[in-house]
Amino acid sequence: MIGAGVVGASCALALTNAGLRVLIIDRGPVASGTSGAGEGNILVSDKEPSPELTLALRSRNAWFEVNEDIGGGFELDGKGGVVISRTESGIAGLAKLAKAQRENGIDAREVNAAELRKLEPHISPTIEYGVYYPQDAQCQPMLAAAQMIRAVKQRGGKFIQGENVIAINSTNGQVTGLTTNKNAYASPIVLNATGTWAGDIAKLAGSYLPIAPRRGFILVTVPAPELIFHKVYDADYVANIASGEADLQSSAVVEGTASGTILIGASRERVGFKSEFEIPILRQLARQAISVFPILKEVQLLRAYRGFRPYAPDHLPVIGEDGNISGLWHAAGHEGAGIVLAPATAELITAEILGKTPFMDPTPFSPKRFMNQDPSAGVHVAS
Amino acid sequence: MKPEQVRVVVVGGGPAGLSAALNAALAGASVLLIDSNSKLGGQYWRHLPETWLEQSELHLDLDTGLLLISAVANNPKIEIWSGAEIWSATHENGATTLRLITKGVEKIITTNALVLATGAYDRTLPFPGWDIPGVMTPGGAQSLIKGHGVAAGKRVVVAGTGPFLLPVAAGLAQIGCEVVELLEANSPLRWLKSFPTLIQNLSKIGEAAHYIAIFNKFGVRPKFKRAVVAAHANKDGELESVSIAKIDSNFNIKKIDRVKCDLAAIGWGFTADTSLAGALLLKQFVTKDEGVAVSVDENQQSSIAGIFAAGEITGIGGSELSIAEGVIAGLAAAIYLGCKAEISDDHRKTKAKKHKFADALINSYPVKSGWQGWLTDETIICRCEEVKYSKLKFSVIELGATDSRTAKLLSRCGMGMCQGRICGRFVVDLVANESGISPSDISDKERISVGNRPIITPISIELLANGE
Amino acid sequence: MQVFTLLVKPNTSITFTFNDLEVSAIPGQSVGAALLEAGDRVLRVTRFENKPRAMFCGIGVCFDCLVVIDGAPNQRACITEAKANMVVRTQVGGA
Repeated sequence: MIGAGVVGASCALALTNAGLRVLIIDRGPVASGTSGAGEGNILVSDKEPSPELTLALRSRNAWFEVNEDIGGGFELDGKGGVVISRTESGIAGLAKLAKAQRENGIDAREVNAAELRKLEPHISPTIEYGVYYPQDAQCQPMLAAAQMIRAVKQRGGKFIQGENVIAINSTNGQVTGLTTNKNAYASPIVLNATGTWAGDIAKLAGSYLPIAPRRGFILVTVPAPELIFHKVYDADYVANIASGEADLQSSAVVEGTASGTILIGASRERVGFKSEFEIPILRQLARQAISVFPILKEVQLLRAYRGFRPYAPDHLPVIGEDGNISGLWHAAGHEGAGIVLAPATAELITAEILGKTPFMDPTPFSPKRFMNQDPSAGVHVAS
Repeated sequence: MKPEQVRVVVVGGGPAGLSAALNAALAGASVLLIDSNSKLGGQYWRHLPETWLEQSELHLDLDTGLLLISAVANNPKIEIWSGAEIWSATHENGATTLRLITKGVEKIITTNALVLATGAYDRTLPFPGWDIPGVMTPGGAQSLIKGHGVAAGKRVVVAGTGPFLLPVAAGLAQIGCEVVELLEANSPLRWLKSFPTLIQNLSKIGEAAHYIAIFNKFGVRPKFKRAVVAAHANKDGELESVSIAKIDSNFNIKKIDRVKCDLAAIGWGFTADTSLAGALLLKQFVTKDEGVAVSVDENQQSSIAGIFAAGEITGIGGSELSIAEGVIAGLAAAIYLGCKAEISDDHRKTKAKKHKFADALINSYPVKSGWQGWLTDETIICRCEEVKYSKLKFSVIELGATDSRTAKLLSRCGMGMCQGRICGRFVVDLVANESGISPSDISDKERISVGNRPIITPISIELLANGE
Repeated sequence: MQVFTLLVKPNTSITFTFNDLEVSAIPGQSVGAALLEAGDRVLRVTRFENKPRAMFCGIGVCFDCLVVIDGAPNQRACITEAKANMVVRTQVGGA
């Protein structure tokens, strides 16, 4: 397994529980990639009817099973989510989405202004319509990855950090192992869970995955007394995810945490791995947050961080066996849904590796969907 | 060039910043001096409000300071913004943009020539009970006396290491406290290694004699190779006594005694305030005492052209070195903007001399790793987030953190209001120790990263939203 | 905590309240210094362990001396100048 983020850790845990011996390798510490910059979102609310919705529903419940299995320790909180809208078209769209989601097993309850205020006393008086999703949850993603890896180690697995994979070895199209800058490791199965860098790893094996970074910023406030009780976001968020635009897409996302800080997101841009802190974007996030929760005006920003979500051009994760090299598996490209989708991704890929029937048809996520794309032509932006 | 770009901006109103501002102005530049305190002088020249009297008794050097402050305040080419805190700094296209909060509003300025002189604060080490009300840093106890005329306790123990303990103990004695213990962790014999340097800086010997006279007057007897290793609270949760240990040369405990006190002023040298330098991505280096400083050339210019640094942030060295560096930085910044001025050989010689003394200081007052043995599982490591040592250890031993950033994400050490200013420096040592990494293998990057804070000070979401 | 009369303090003073009780300060003193002189050392109670905290670094770096001033939390008592009629309260929880 290459990658000690949330997805890698979840896969390692599922594979270990299924009886396989797992060695996790990461060039850095646990959660040193995108998992270290996430909010901890476990959402079903932002999923449109699609294979991803099916994956998310199963995965959300799987999180509570993982919590039980490893004894917690990552602040899992079934707090629920509230999606709001203020425009006519937004409200209509949200109502339509909620209906379709209900038909697909998501508990989506429309709420009026009074009910909204019961859920969130400090929400802006200008907001009169929302949908409440009791299934939405949150966790602390770095702790989740670390606790899962701890369980993997307790159950016979191993984690090596600080080694850079420099080659993935195969013979006659079958993986035989990998080589790092320090060692070589033999195995008939290599699982690529390197998120935003999964394309680089695929290349090492002579294969191809069009995964690119989508930058996001998060504001963290000082610890504040209980002000916000659910994950609350503007319906525009869903449209942003699906957008193919490279420019800044941003919409209000606000939630509290177990430690008392409030997290404010969310922004999406295609700027490669540009790492500078863009003050205008931080200001935009602040404006959006105040628009939903005016009380935040008086709360102070304490720190901010940015991360690079891994996405494939069709905005679906990549889960399954590589099209060119057998024994090379991928679990990457989850964009902003890496945390919610991690346990079900692990279940899917464990079933496939063991030759068992997975809980859903994994074809939509298969890496084979990229096989006809010419690597030398660069990334095809599907949307 | 926009008008606001044709001036030198100096950040920090202590000895280095004041010297830089004055010398830049004397060289012909317009200057904006930004200081977060309400009164100029920084920590070193902290003084009582002008309406009070007789402050120089408490401060050896204040006359120099007041003269310099007055020269700066009265110079028509220098504009001063006091009570202004910078929350963000970015550098682009040869110019630095500073975003600051002053009197509840945000101001944004841009400059081509910047001098950073943000100074330093007391270096702290954790120990059982260090979070009890009544335990302070020496700088804290001293600032209350010098700036507000208040004694923070009646019966005080001054401890730690470094020459800074002397004026603090003297000040506390003069203001009426009973200084029951003055404890220096290191041996006085360490000074013998730097004897030639000591002789060359005779003013320092005079200074030491001044303090010895005060100690004789008030019955303060310094003790060496001793440290406060625990503090104890009374039933109201306030400081009642401390455990004092005889320690060996590695700071390991040999024998413990209890002493009653209601104030403990404990410090271990200084940590440079490098937040602004880190936010601007200036090149930094690790100093001989495992601190971090900004790299500068002989003209005090950092790794970015047009950004200069002077004073404690280029290496802890005391006020005289800070002044010498400030002079050079101010002149260099003015020259950078096109002013006709020269940095003389004398300037450079003074700096070199003071630098040697500063180096001797560092050699004489090391902090040895034995302090880690003073901790218990219950000792608070991160004050802001109340993280106990057991939780930090868990993040390393059980959750696999081997660097302080990962340990921070998994334990919350350094995530609180002070953003690791207090705990960051020693968490690096604790994490390395628990991971089995030897201190000499701790990377420079690891030590430097602790002071990097893109959001330098908290800013309200409202101000953030309304700004440009 | 009596101040030795080496210092000649001005006669003027201003008053503010701390938890509804009157405290006097000399113009220019910080809230923290004035409270300390009045015998109030504890400024806040921590949010997880309910432990009392007081000024520690004294110069605005440690953020331990947080009090609520005129309704606004997270004010550093050591660097905030005491002003007449300020309403200061112990900060409980929060930061």
